[in-house]
Amino acid sequence: MQFTFLSHKHFLFPASFIIRLALVIYGDYQDRTMEVKYTDIDYHVFTDAARFITQGESPYNRSTYRYTPVLAWILTPNIYLNFTFGKILFILCDVLTGLLIYQYLCLRGISSEVACRVCSLWLLNPLPMGVSSRGNAESILTALVLCTLLCLEGRRLTWAAALYGLSVHMKIYPVTYALPIALALRTQVTPGVGREAVHPQRRGWGSSLWGFLRSFLNGELLLFAVVAAIVFFGLGALFYHMYGWDFLHETYLYHLTRRDIRHNFSPYFYMLYLTADSEWSQWLGLAAFVPQLALLLLVSWVHHRDLALCCFLHTAIFVSFNKVCTSQYFLWYLCLLPLVIPNLSLSTWQGVALLALWFTGQGAWLGPAYFLEFKGHNTFLAIWLAGLLFLVINCFILVQIVVHYRPVAQAAQGRKDK
Amino acid sequence: LYNFVLTIPVYFSDDKDQNICGIGRQWLESILVSTECNGNGFHREMVTTVKFSPDVPNVLNVLLVHKLPRGIYVDPYQLATLNDSDSHLQILLDSPINLEAPAHRTGGFSALLYATLVGQRSKLLKKSIPIHCRYHEPSFGDQKAVIVNIGSPDLLLRSETCNDGSNFKSYSIVDAPCTATNSSICSWVQIRLNKEQSHVSLQIPVGDGSLVIHVICGTLLVTFICCSALSLKIWKHRVLT
Repeated sequence: MQFTFLSHKHFLFPASFIIRLALVIYGDYQDRTMEVKYTDIDYHVFTDAARFITQGESPYNRSTYRYTPVLAWILTPNIYLNFTFGKILFILCDVLTGLLIYQYLCLRGISSEVACRVCSLWLLNPLPMGVSSRGNAESILTALVLCTLLCLEGRRLTWAAALYGLSVHMKIYPVTYALPIALALRTQVTPGVGREAVHPQRRGWGSSLWGFLRSFLNGELLLFAVVAAIVFFGLGALFYHMYGWDFLHETYLYHLTRRDIRHNFSPYFYMLYLTADSEWSQWLGLAAFVPQLALLLLVSWVHHRDLALCCFLHTAIFVSFNKVCTSQYFLWYLCLLPLVIPNLSLSTWQGVALLALWFTGQGAWLGPAYFLEFKGHNTFLAIWLAGLLFLVINCFILVQIVVHYRPVAQAAQGRKDK
Repeated sequence: LYNFVLTIPVYFSDDKDQNICGIGRQWLESILVSTECNGNGFHREMVTTVKFSPDVPNVLNVLLVHKLPRGIYVDPYQLATLNDSDSHLQILLDSPINLEAPAHRTGGFSALLYATLVGQRSKLLKKSIPIHCRYHEPSFGDQKAVIVNIGSPDLLLRSETCNDGSNFKSYSIVDAPCTATNSSICSWVQIRLNKEQSHVSLQIPVGDGSLVIHVICGTLLVTFICCSALSLKIWKHRVLT
């Protein structure tokens, strides 16, 4: 059999760390010797902010530092020890993400061999390798989100809630998981069974609504909500006390109100650029929010019993329909895709074809974007059309995933029958 | 940190043979300054060349004051990285730079570029500053690009050994920071230049405002169709357990 080494965790995890470490070492060499730098500009932003902290100042003195102070604090060894400390931390979190995927799949009943092969889609994937070795901090968040899902799957609710609160503190997008988590933890109402059986009599809308709302009042959900809120608001209060309004604005408000008119993958980019100073701007922003919200609510309701699929669809929809979309955002849902793959009835070739389609969509955008930014050609129209095409491709891929998804019980039966 | 005072009292003299601090007037008037922009797109290099005649005085401090329009910006963090490297670019900016604002929401600024001429060999000073173009408002006519002009910089000189302003009565005296660290103010002599080119023009692409209705309708239509199609499939293939 080919690629059997991928099935051995004792090879896969060390190998993926060594490859990332090699990239960090190469990146240091490229930074010192070549004009085009390997290290991402964000890493310099984090390090500058950490330097301000070591000088007793606010990390927000660094222009464009729009992250939680936690990140600058944990990167202070960049100043005290070595500039590459942060990169080592990020690649460790990257490999940890792979390990958490493996643990999750094993918990779901997947064999170690298959789990390793699925994990290799993340661990040997050049995209997360490149992102973390260049100094982007996305891997911290992917590890936190996966740890939250793993704890939820293992019914360790206190840990899950604390990790969830920390995830939302670090980046806003996991807040969308609150609804499916709440729906999953509430008292499940099933006629004739369960802790609170519903009498099979005709009920009015009022009592149905009351029953629905009352299902949210259970110990597990309240525990989760309280612990998550304590962690999130506790950290928020601490950093507000230390850094004031700058912390709230740069960490949260900027991202919520961000209108970046510069070219990016979002289908709304050109519309927002052309209308940035018009009176329609606010209404169009709202119109852009409606599809995103509607889909998130629908996915929460339909798929809350399978949190891995639900969170994957949530994040993929959130990113694809967002008003700003950069390539770093792709990692937010790519880390959840391996959790879904064992339940897909797509063949390998179908999967490869969808992946090729996804890359084609990106390529169709990157081409005109390069000519605009680096050659000065007016390719705005092509970038706009490529952004719309990329949205269509993303939706097509999500449809294929939804259509070919087999729930856990059916997938396990399928594997038994083989 | 960024404030400095410019005072420009102007005096005129007819004495063409005046020798100022060992620097010949003819030598001063033979200095040539030119500016060009290399590259295309939104990221370019602004190269300023100053040609001196031979017999440069022993040590001469040079200050080039670039007045840059609002359509252009420099990244102070990128400049700080260049300061640490071999290129030794000493630049002081006169105001904080917003890296992300579009052109019509920000203003122009001045970039003070410091250099030192040492010894009689230095006849040519060539300094390159990385500049970036801002997004501009969309055009509603046929223009696909806006033109942004960058004028030639002002040239200021200062000698370490000769600071008596009375020697420079025929020149403008300007007060400006002594070095890029902005820790003290010195008097500089502004040199009247024979400028080879009056300005450099950059073409920056802009969006087509006349298409705004088409873009709004097209975007909302495609996003609505995608949202509807995805919603229908999600609902149709919901898991009934």
